Amino acid sequence: MISDEQVHQRVAQIMAEEFELEPESLQPDATLYEDLGLDSLDAVDMVVALEKAFGMKMTDEEAVRAVRTLGDLFDLVCRLKNQQVAKE
Amino acid sequence: MRAEVVVIGSGISGLTVAALLAKRNRQVVVLERNQKPGGALRHFVRRGIPFDIGFHYSGCLGSGKILRVLWEYLGIWIHLRVHPFPSEGNDCLTLRHSGKSVRAFFSYERLEDELQQAFPNEAEGVVTYLKTLRDICDSIPFYNLDLPLTPFLRGLFPPAGIGLAPFLTSLTKDPDLQAVLVSPAFLYGVSPRQASLAVHAMVAHAFISGAYAIDGGGQAIVDAFLSIFRKAGVEVLTGQEVESIIVTDGKVAGVKTSEMEISCSQAIYTGHPADLLDLVPEGTFRQAHCSRLQDLENTTSMFVVFGAVDNPASLRDLTWVNHYAIPSGLDILDVNLICPEESALLMTAPGRRYSDPALSNASRGIILMRPASWDEVAPFSIGAGGTRPASYKKWKSQSADKLLDQAKKLWGYSRIEPLAIGSPLTFRDKLGVPGGAVYGVRHCLNQYNPGAKTRLPGLWLSGQGTLMTGIVGASLSGLVTAGEIEGLEPLWDEVRQCR
Repeated sequence: MISDEQVHQRVAQIMAEEFELEPESLQPDATLYEDLGLDSLDAVDMVVALEKAFGMKMTDEEAVRAVRTLGDLFDLVCRLKNQQVAKE
Repeated sequence: MRAEVVVIGSGISGLTVAALLAKRNRQVVVLERNQKPGGALRHFVRRGIPFDIGFHYSGCLGSGKILRVLWEYLGIWIHLRVHPFPSEGNDCLTLRHSGKSVRAFFSYERLEDELQQAFPNEAEGVVTYLKTLRDICDSIPFYNLDLPLTPFLRGLFPPAGIGLAPFLTSLTKDPDLQAVLVSPAFLYGVSPRQASLAVHAMVAHAFISGAYAIDGGGQAIVDAFLSIFRKAGVEVLTGQEVESIIVTDGKVAGVKTSEMEISCSQAIYTGHPADLLDLVPEGTFRQAHCSRLQDLENTTSMFVVFGAVDNPASLRDLTWVNHYAIPSGLDILDVNLICPEESALLMTAPGRRYSDPALSNASRGIILMRPASWDEVAPFSIGAGGTRPASYKKWKSQSADKLLDQAKKLWGYSRIEPLAIGSPLTFRDKLGVPGGAVYGVRHCLNQYNPGAKTRLPGLWLSGQGTLMTGIVGASLSGLVTAGEIEGLEPLWDEVRQCR
């Protein structure tokens, strides 16, 4: 099973590769919209990229909209990943 | 050459967005790579018989319904002669396993009666199904024109919601009734197992609310657009394959074809979103977006026989009835090559039988179609463009014979002469869709279709992959794209005034 730390690393790696972001900018307190410069168009691309990478669905619109920082995103992906494991 | 807006693609979404923007006094040029405009709405002629490629019948053309309202707003409606299917008209669904026939009428009341009679033990499921369709569509602005557009469009993210399959299987365990209720999937090309209840509801509701035919078919719609374009000064340039979208200072500056360059500040691309990536400079979109567009999954393809009968009178029972044969359960779009007698099949005569003698030749045309997969034609797709291996012709003709044989067994039509055949290869090349997906990108559970807006200022998307499928969906995608450019609610208000 993938650890939370590995999830963090993988999320950061995906964000760096898929959105051409500097790896050092990817700190947990960085806000997606102000600090990393993403917008609502990118948000869907981000969800699709993460779903593909982790083989899961991020269909809870409220939870996705509530994500402000990279740390929030780490937490959401870890939570979904753990739920998925619990189901299996 | 110079224009304000260049529309790439002249299918119904491109024609619609061009007409809407021209009405707002924008100077618009439409580019089409084929020699004739119209995309899937076009017809072609064999032995004097016009055959519709994609337009067989439509919903949403009743008084106050969205496509009619839009066409009235654009001045298209007065050019068309639209005929509602009479109350006896229906999609006659023959169940493959039981041989039972159910008439899917284009009216909620008649359909409910028919289903109650055919499935007397399933009354509750039938009522719930029909009520659910109506309730869903009542919350969608295209079916309830009192609603604003913006909340619906912004709410499309993410594509969660209820699946069609779990919904139906919770309503009924009867595989025949399941098959009947999923049958509209044939009209949007997504397997019921991947379909969302909401998308299904939009298509099914449109037809249950009334089906319509148009004299001259889809070509008459194309011609009506061309006629208003002449007055509005919209140019349609055919034989123009777009090579690139020119970007200067981070925004759209023009469109380049093999023959010309048109400077413009807005470009609207109506093709398959994945193919857009070849037209824009590298780095326009981030990797995440490119992967998303490339990975979009598509609708089913079809294998189609365009045939003729000598005597149009022999098609009498096809005038206002479309004959479907469907497998039971949720398998309507499964491609079953081993047992063709188990797979779905549609027989329709979209020329209908009109009183106008000028159209009498159209009445001899008959169209047979079944779901098809790219795998069937993959071995023949090596030669690019027009050159196909000889084995392809043989495969096509054998496949056509099988389809004709099925029609004969099912409905007794033995004297259909095949005049043309459409395969997944044909649709890929003529309509520019990967895999010959007849309805383009699919709208289904767990897929995020792109919207009209793109990351590149001045570049917009339209077409059935963006909003909804079919002639209604593609027309509305044109409306939404024009609305994103001009202001959604003001345009929506103007259009709605034509109710």
